[in-house]
Amino acid sequence: MIKSEEYDVLVIGGGISGAEASINLANQGFKVLIVEKDLSVGGKMIHLSKVFPTLDCSACITTPKISQTARHPNITIYTYSQVNDIEKKSEHNFQAIVTRYPRYVKEEDCTGCQICEEKCPVVVNDQYQYDLVGRKAVYVPFSIANPRVAAIDIENCSFCGACEKACPSEAIDFSQEKIDIQINVKSVVIATGFRLFDPLLIPRYGFGKYKNVITAMQMERQLVPTRPFNHVLRPKDGKMPDKIAYVLCAGSRDETIGNPICSQVCCMYSVKQAQLLMGALPLADITIYYLNIRSFGKGFNEFYQQAKDMGVNFIKGKIGKITETDNGNLLLRYEDIIEGVVKEAKHDLVVLSVGILANQGISSMFKDTLELDPFNYIKQSDELANPAKTTIRGVYVAGTASGPMDIPDSILSAGAASAEIAGYLRLRR
Amino acid sequence: MGKTIDIIKQKRKVSESVKQNIKDFNAMKKKILATMEIEHKSIPQIAEELQLPLDVVTYHLMTLQKFGFIEVSELDDMDEYYFYNLKK
Ligand SMILES: Cc1cc2nc3c(=O)[nH]c(=O)nc-3n(C[C@H](O)[C@H](O)[C@H](O)COP(=O)(O)OP(=O)(O)OC[C@H]3O[C@@H](n4cnc5c(N)ncnc54)[C@H](O)[C@@H]3O)c2cc1C
Ligand code: SF4
Repeated sequence: MIKSEEYDVLVIGGGISGAEASINLANQGFKVLIVEKDLSVGGKMIHLSKVFPTLDCSACITTPKISQTARHPNITIYTYSQVNDIEKKSEHNFQAIVTRYPRYVKEEDCTGCQICEEKCPVVVNDQYQYDLVGRKAVYVPFSIANPRVAAIDIENCSFCGACEKACPSEAIDFSQEKIDIQINVKSVVIATGFRLFDPLLIPRYGFGKYKNVITAMQMERQLVPTRPFNHVLRPKDGKMPDKIAYVLCAGSRDETIGNPICSQVCCMYSVKQAQLLMGALPLADITIYYLNIRSFGKGFNEFYQQAKDMGVNFIKGKIGKITETDNGNLLLRYEDIIEGVVKEAKHDLVVLSVGILANQGISSMFKDTLELDPFNYIKQSDELANPAKTTIRGVYVAGTASGPMDIPDSILSAGAASAEIAGYLRLRR
Repeated sequence: MGKTIDIIKQKRKVSESVKQNIKDFNAMKKKILATMEIEHKSIPQIAEELQLPLDVVTYHLMTLQKFGFIEVSELDDMDEYYFYNLKK
C-alpha cells in the first residue's frame, strides 16, 4: 500500500526562492515539505561565483540559508524527487503523489567521503561544472551539495560493484527502487525557477562547434574556488585568455527564437563577471557587446559605471556571426549600432550571456488548470495586489517561476508568497 | 550486509557505450600521464606529442587534475599556458 504523509505546505523547488519561503513558513510553525528534483537543494545560486552588485560570495550566502532549511524541525526535504497529480479536493485540501527516485546510496549512512568515487571506473561529463570536466558514475554532486551524499548515475554505471566494496559505511544499495508517497497538504508553493537558454539554438554563435565560445554559467564556474580548471582558461587549449568578449541578450529579446522578453539579469551578471575577470586576469581586455544595458536596480548603475572605470569596453553592437580563426581565436562580425556600420573584432574567448526561460511541464503537475502567462511563466492572477497568487486558490508562486528576476527580487517574492500563504492558512485555523 | 550489486545486475545490462567509454578514458589517461613522466608539460606540448586535438587533451587533463593524478606546475614565459606535473 502507498505510504501517506501530511504537511501544511508543499514547496516545489529547493532553490533560493523555495528555501526562503519554507523558512518563513516553518518559523511560523507550519510543517513544510520541499520537493526538489535535483540531487541537492540550492538551485542556480549555489553554483554562482559572486553576486551583483555587492560582489558577496554567492556560496557563502546560499550555504547557511540552505543548511538552516535542512536543519529546521518543521521542514522535510525530499531531493531527487518529483511531484505529480496535484489535485485540489476542497479548500485547504490538496492531494499529490511524490515520487522519490533511487540514489542507490543510503542517505542516512553516506558520509560523503568520496572513497567510492576513487574506485569507480566510469567518467562522464560533470553537469555541475557545465560539462567542462568529467565526473564519476558514483559521485557526490559538488562539494557544498546539500545533502552532501553520493548518488549513482545508473544509466552510466558499469555495475562493477567497486563502489559497494569500497564504501566504509556500507551506504551503497543497488536494491533501492523508486517510491511513491501520497501527500496531503493545505497549500502549495511553486518555486521551480527557470531554465537556461540553449545557445545551440543560435548556430551562428558557434557554441558547441567552437570550444572557446562558452556560456555565462560556464564562466561562473570558472570564477569559483571549486572551479573546473586551475585558473580561468580556454576550454579549447588551456590558454589564459586575454581578449574576452561578452555577447549580451543571447537568447533574450529575440522574437526569432521565441523569447521576446528581457531576462533581467544578464546585463548585470556580465558586468559582474567582467569585474571579477579583471581581478583574475589583470592584463586581459574585456569587451561587452550590448543592445541596451539594463541597470535598473538599486546600486546597479553605479556598478555598471564602476566596470567602465575599471576599463571594461562597452560596444553597442549586434553580433551577426562568430567564426573561428587561427589558434582557436574568434572573429566577431557585428553591427556597430552607433556608427551604423558592420565591423569585425578578434577575441580569444567569447562568453554568451544566455537568457533565462520558463521551466516546462509545471502546469501538467496539476489536475486543475494552472494558467501560464504568454511567456510560459506561472500566471500571477492578481499581480499588483497579491503577486504570489496563481489561478488556483491555495497555490502560490515564488521567485523566477513567475518571471525573470535576480536574487534579491526572488527573496522578496518568496517573502510575499509566504505571507500570503500564512494568511490563507490562518483563514482555516 | 550482502552485496546488492547482484540485484541490479539481474535487472539491467551494461550498455556498450559505457564499456567503450571506460576503455577510451583509460587509454587517454595512460597516454597523457606517460607524457609527463620525465618533465612537466603544457597542453599544446601534450597534444603535439600525442597528435590529439587540443580540446580533447584539455578535457582529459583537467579531469585527471580533478581526480588528483596531476598538479599544476608553473606558467610558461609568455604567461599563456600552464605546465602540469604528475602528482607525487
Ligand atoms: C549566469 C547567471 C549568473 C547570475 N548571477 C546573479 C547575480 O550575480 N546576482 C543575482 O541577484 N542574480 C543572479 N542570477 C539570477 C539568479 O540565478 C536567480 O535570480 C535565482 O537563482 C532564482 O532563484 P529561484 O529559486 O527562483 O530559481 P532556481 O535557482 O532556478 O531554483 C529552482 C529550483 O527548483 C528546482 N525545480 C525545477 N523544476 C522542478 C520540479 N518540477 N520539481 C521539483 N523541483 C524543481 C530546480 O532544480 C532548482 O533547484 C544569475 C543567473 C545566471 C544564469
Ligand atoms: S557512498 Fe560510501 S564511499 Fe561513497 S561517499 Fe558515501 S560513504 Fe563515502
